[in-house]
Amino acid sequence: MQLTVDGRKIDAVAGQTVLEAARAAGIYIPALCYHPKTGKAGRCRACVVEIEGMRGLKEACAQEVRDGMVVHTDTDRVQQTRRLVVDLLLAEGHHNCISCQANGTCELQEMAYRIGVERPAFLIETEPAPLDVSSEGIVREADKCIQCGRCVLACQNHVVNEVLAFGYRGSHAAVVCDDDRPMGESSCVLCGECVQVCPVGALVLKQPREAKVRPSETVATKVTCPFCGVGCQIDLHTKDNRYVFAMAHEGQWLKQPNRGSLCVKGRFGLDFIDAPDRLRTPLVRKDGELVEASWDEALDLVAAGLKQAKDKYGPDSVGFFTSAKVTNEENYALGRLARAVIGTNNIDHCARL
Amino acid sequence: MTPELQERIEQIASRYPSRRSALLPALHLVQRESNGYVDGAQLAAVAELIGVPVSEAFGVQSYYTMFERRPVGKFHLQVDTNIPAMLAGAEEIVAQLERSLDIRVGETTPDGLFTLSTVECLASCGTCPVIQVNDGYYESMTPQRTDALIASLRRGVLPDLPVQANFGSVCNVLLKRRGTPNATSLAVYRQTGGYRALPIALAKKPAEIVAEVKASNIRGRGGAGFPAGVKWSFLAKNTGKPTYLICNADEGEPGTFKDRQIMEYDPHLLIEGMTIAGYAIGANLGFIYIRGEFAWIAAILEKAIAEARQAGMLGRDILGRGFDYDLVVHVGAGAYVCGEETALIESLEGKRGNPRLKPPFPAVVGLYGCPTIVNNVETLASVPFIVEHGAAAFMHIGTANNFGPKIFGISGHVRRPGTYEYPLGTPLATLLDAAGGVDGRLKAVIVGGLSVPILTAAEAEGLIMDYDSCLKSGTMLGSGGIMVMNESTSIPRVALRAIRFYAHESCGQCTPCRQGSHTVATLLDKVVAGRGTLADLDLVVRLCRTIKGTTLCPTGEAFATPIEAMVTKFRDEFAALVR
Amino acid sequence: MAGLATTLGSGAMTNSLEEVLEAKVILVIGSNTTWNHPVFGSLLKQAVKLRGAKLIVCDPRRIDLVDFADIWLQQRNGSDVALLMGLQHIILREGWEAAQYIKERTEGYDEYLKALEFYTPAKVAELTGVAPDDLLAAAKLFATSGVGALYYCMGITQHSHGVDNVKACVNLQLITGNLGVAGGGVNPLRGQNNVQGACDMGGLPNVFTGYQPVTNPAAVEKFSKYWRAPLSDKVGLTLTQMVPAAGDSIRALYILGENPLVSDPNLHHVEECLAKLDFLVVQDIFLTETAKLADVVLPGVSFAEKLGTISNTERRVQLTQPAIKPTGSVRQDYEIIADVAARFGHEFPRTPEALFQEIRDLTPAYAGLTYERIREVGIQWPCPAVDHPGTRFLHSGKFARGLALLSPLAYRPPAEVPDGDFDLVLSTGRILEHFHTGSMTRRSRLLDVLVEAGHVELHPDDATRYGVADGDRVAVSTRRGRIETTALVTDRVAPGSIFVPFHFAEAAANVLTNDVLDPVAKIPEYKVCAASLERVGSGR
Repeated sequence: MQLTVDGRKIDAVAGQTVLEAARAAGIYIPALCYHPKTGKAGRCRACVVEIEGMRGLKEACAQEVRDGMVVHTDTDRVQQTRRLVVDLLLAEGHHNCISCQANGTCELQEMAYRIGVERPAFLIETEPAPLDVSSEGIVREADKCIQCGRCVLACQNHVVNEVLAFGYRGSHAAVVCDDDRPMGESSCVLCGECVQVCPVGALVLKQPREAKVRPSETVATKVTCPFCGVGCQIDLHTKDNRYVFAMAHEGQWLKQPNRGSLCVKGRFGLDFIDAPDRLRTPLVRKDGELVEASWDEALDLVAAGLKQAKDKYGPDSVGFFTSAKVTNEENYALGRLARAVIGTNNIDHCARL
Repeated sequence: MTPELQERIEQIASRYPSRRSALLPALHLVQRESNGYVDGAQLAAVAELIGVPVSEAFGVQSYYTMFERRPVGKFHLQVDTNIPAMLAGAEEIVAQLERSLDIRVGETTPDGLFTLSTVECLASCGTCPVIQVNDGYYESMTPQRTDALIASLRRGVLPDLPVQANFGSVCNVLLKRRGTPNATSLAVYRQTGGYRALPIALAKKPAEIVAEVKASNIRGRGGAGFPAGVKWSFLAKNTGKPTYLICNADEGEPGTFKDRQIMEYDPHLLIEGMTIAGYAIGANLGFIYIRGEFAWIAAILEKAIAEARQAGMLGRDILGRGFDYDLVVHVGAGAYVCGEETALIESLEGKRGNPRLKPPFPAVVGLYGCPTIVNNVETLASVPFIVEHGAAAFMHIGTANNFGPKIFGISGHVRRPGTYEYPLGTPLATLLDAAGGVDGRLKAVIVGGLSVPILTAAEAEGLIMDYDSCLKSGTMLGSGGIMVMNESTSIPRVALRAIRFYAHESCGQCTPCRQGSHTVATLLDKVVAGRGTLADLDLVVRLCRTIKGTTLCPTGEAFATPIEAMVTKFRDEFAALVR
Repeated sequence: MAGLATTLGSGAMTNSLEEVLEAKVILVIGSNTTWNHPVFGSLLKQAVKLRGAKLIVCDPRRIDLVDFADIWLQQRNGSDVALLMGLQHIILREGWEAAQYIKERTEGYDEYLKALEFYTPAKVAELTGVAPDDLLAAAKLFATSGVGALYYCMGITQHSHGVDNVKACVNLQLITGNLGVAGGGVNPLRGQNNVQGACDMGGLPNVFTGYQPVTNPAAVEKFSKYWRAPLSDKVGLTLTQMVPAAGDSIRALYILGENPLVSDPNLHHVEECLAKLDFLVVQDIFLTETAKLADVVLPGVSFAEKLGTISNTERRVQLTQPAIKPTGSVRQDYEIIADVAARFGHEFPRTPEALFQEIRDLTPAYAGLTYERIREVGIQWPCPAVDHPGTRFLHSGKFARGLALLSPLAYRPPAEVPDGDFDLVLSTGRILEHFHTGSMTRRSRLLDVLVEAGHVELHPDDATRYGVADGDRVAVSTRRGRIETTALVTDRVAPGSIFVPFHFAEAAANVLTNDVLDPVAKIPEYKVCAASLERVGSGR
């Protein structure tokens, strides 16, 4: 089906929302509370548009497309509302891009930039809220929270860890952990889903924040998590060839086994790759001690050791433990080594353990 | 938690199709049994018993104003300071209490006897000032009565302080039994013509009842004025799910105190109306969602329901006609927004009272995801008359497109504030006369509850009180709560009090309402305190104009409209306050 | 694996992870899902919370999933066959079975039925400790709610009768018609990111890639031709057989990325065995407990430095890309293997993609997969051709072995049960914050802060009985060894039961565990042995 957005005809499929169709066509509609994983919420009011034949402003995130629909995102009314939303959100908290971990990836910043808000229309004096640094992995900054509710919906309904909720109401409404206790003292299991969906800098990972590396500076590569068998797809963020942090890969999330989520191990447990005691050179045993050696020396010893056993006791005197931790290609190669080179079927791995 | 308490919560839970609905009642119960507050450990126990995460239980507990998380005094004095109360001198009562108890608002006396709070409208506008003490109201409070109350409470006795409320009826439909002694009993209700419509209804097909109500053109009495029969006909059919009827008895719009007249003095009228409505829409279960502060009215309803059940008017096979139907009284916990139907449904489901995105409308996806009709008390109480006497008789009352009787609650600067049942289309002047006339010279009037635009005395001249006429005159009939202000009234102070109410009651979900109401309140506070500028006033007006129509639910409009009207219509008075 | 392969013809998880959202009823047994597979645990909780699926949890411990369960059956450790067969007894007695399905798609029914007679509710209650009413409720819920999915993990397999446990799971899903349908299945959750791939690639003593048996002459010929080398057609030894044979029939071991010195049962014995080898080579990224015993240690690279494919628990083959360039004198693991092969005169491919091409050539289930196809979203095998979309669930219409086999199972108690001096039941497993032998997670700064040392879960009643307070130092002993650790007093475990996570080499649970094996699958009985406990001191 087709609809018209700001005079431009765009294609859409049944079941899509106006927001999804417009975004797919490259038309910018800001949306701070909507996230594909948490769905429509109707909270931020940033995505409102005018639709011909419908009274008033309509949430683009909640309206399903209909063939022939005519949508306007460029009317005064819509522009005024977007401006109002940004002005109110800026007045509500302490948004300081200079020091913010989310600078460059913040969706509020992006929205303000896009609609040309150079300075807030008004400021309301508020007491700064304390930082919550009690969690080992996540820093919460209530002053940067825009109450979009993504983290709450994600925690309650996506990862179903049920730690975050909205507490209180009105301008006192706030995201709370359990019965409003510091995150580090709550039932939080540190899956990091809240950080994953936060559009601003209200929930950020502690380690990159302390290391002074912003997500906007890193390069992401899709890898498979090294832990359990779910096979979570991770965006491994690096800077200067060093690991910085991990985010769930959200591309085509519905088709990925982890659906855009991670657990505490996948999120926070990958820094072992930079551990100081990583082996960096081959070792061979000399006089009872393991000492550094060249590759040629080590590999020659391996070949000799295997050959000796094979020659003296037959191929079945050699055994191989392959690994549930390495790739298929490597498992295949070791299997071929055992079977075709040594000539034994003595190969197994820790599936049983 | 004691096993006995657990058992009582289990019993409550068994009344609902979904266990989670028992969360609010359970918190009420535990609070009542534990010195007036529920701490973290008790909350966790309730959450586990009901089967909700602690985080969500806390979200609910901290949303509703009636739930206390910290100790309160043995007597919790809560003074209504909203506009009708303000007009009746509530601020002086608060000052008097602060003096005599030697504490400030929000504090507890060192002996733990008293906690003093100010609260939003308690729906006692005709009998203000009102002090809620624990679960009961003390109305028409004067300095003398306040002294007597405190003296008695110091002795540990909740005194009996009788109230003389004013009322009148020219229609004798909704306030027919208002002055009849013991009208809450089934016997008196019957003797005075009650339960005549029910057998008539049950002898007909449900569709015929819907048609009759549709034909009567009765418009919803909650405030929006949408035709009730049309609403019923929107109900999703053949969904394979149960249908529910909910009576909206959350009467919270400041200036409104009409529904409680029916529930408190003629509960069977509502029960009969709900039973007929339930039959008409195919429901087997109905809920009365009553605001938490009306605890004793909930008890009156419970008693009447039990009596009706006993008499075969509710329960299985009503009047032997094969219709099963029952009612559950669900008590809210202090949240204005729950008067909005989808917020009410959320609240009834045991959640925070956050309005839902519409569509879908409740008639399609309502309570527990099932088709649901939500009607106001007054609307449902009108149904027996329509069924018994026919749509034509109903349309005989009122004016074209605005048929039927209406209860007007008149408060503020009139000599006999109270509730008066008149036909729609009655001139405002007639109603003010019925209420004893304006006390002093009329300055302004709000005719439909706080959320409608204020009228100057000149604008109110010749006003006809029905939906269409009010709209034509630049305001709305709303709930029919009329607040009268004489020349002594400071409109900037009224505006500030009004926006503080909305900022307090905003659910906090959507940006323009949450932060908009807070911002406007901050700006008006500056103005009233003499620290504001004309630019602040302009910003207030600009914010109000932009906020209208941008919010998730009508609450944004509910504050933007009246505040804009006050500031623009009485601009000189505001301007006189700025630096 | 063996249990599934025998009864259904294929040893993998039958259905997809996402299908849990389609299940109407879910049975989880022997899987602490939210700790061991947390992300799938979330999906499972979604199914319950948002889709209204019913959940039955069978576990001796009060695992977190119990909070979401409609029914929790707290069976005794090692009584799973009785429990599962007991449920089936009731289902058939009440006529809740899928009769047509049983007739059309299974065999062995009569013999199975005869075996089932033993498992009366009264008998099962006696063996499992689960009340007959609870059994009835669970059987009814599972059999009458619509399509049902069954998930299990090591709580089912790591027993001396693990294969029987698996077969009991299969039986349940067969008589309820839940195999070969979307949202159903018998679903073992794999504990390591590429266990499935290691198996698929023939990292097993009895099969080549794609489960082509080494005893099948045609397979041997095919591989022999492709690899241009003579091959053995004799089934090799399993890991749990190789270790005790070390120094005896096994003289040299090549260990790639494994740490048997923490992961294997009866560790003292393992260490003795490995010391007897003539030659041990370990290829790893850390100097693990095992690597310390090696003659040669070869430094490979971490997952973050690799290109290649990894097959997840639902048979989804996914491409992983290198995010970091290796530093130091390390080599890609496939290169190291090729370097060794070269010294024997064999030329192995020198890129992952070229190796993958060989896999595709030799493995019909992988034939249709290319790096390009799986770059963004993985594909589930079998995927026999490049235009094949992959397979969401197995056994649709027909089982891999034709008709599925219903197994008549006899109840066998665990090999070691509490008695006299050793009056507690010890079970081992993982916790949320750590993984397997801890070689990765204990080097993570944050995870190490969250949980820095091991512990033993102990019921408050037992704590009182042994005079132990939460946080006290205690010694746990079995007939095989003794460790000292910290007491964690919790009612998560049943009275009389203790639980020790096995990630911590300094207080290794596997010093204690019983190395008795399942006779078929050769899996050790990690989940049940007899233990004793004593207080050694206060925790401070």
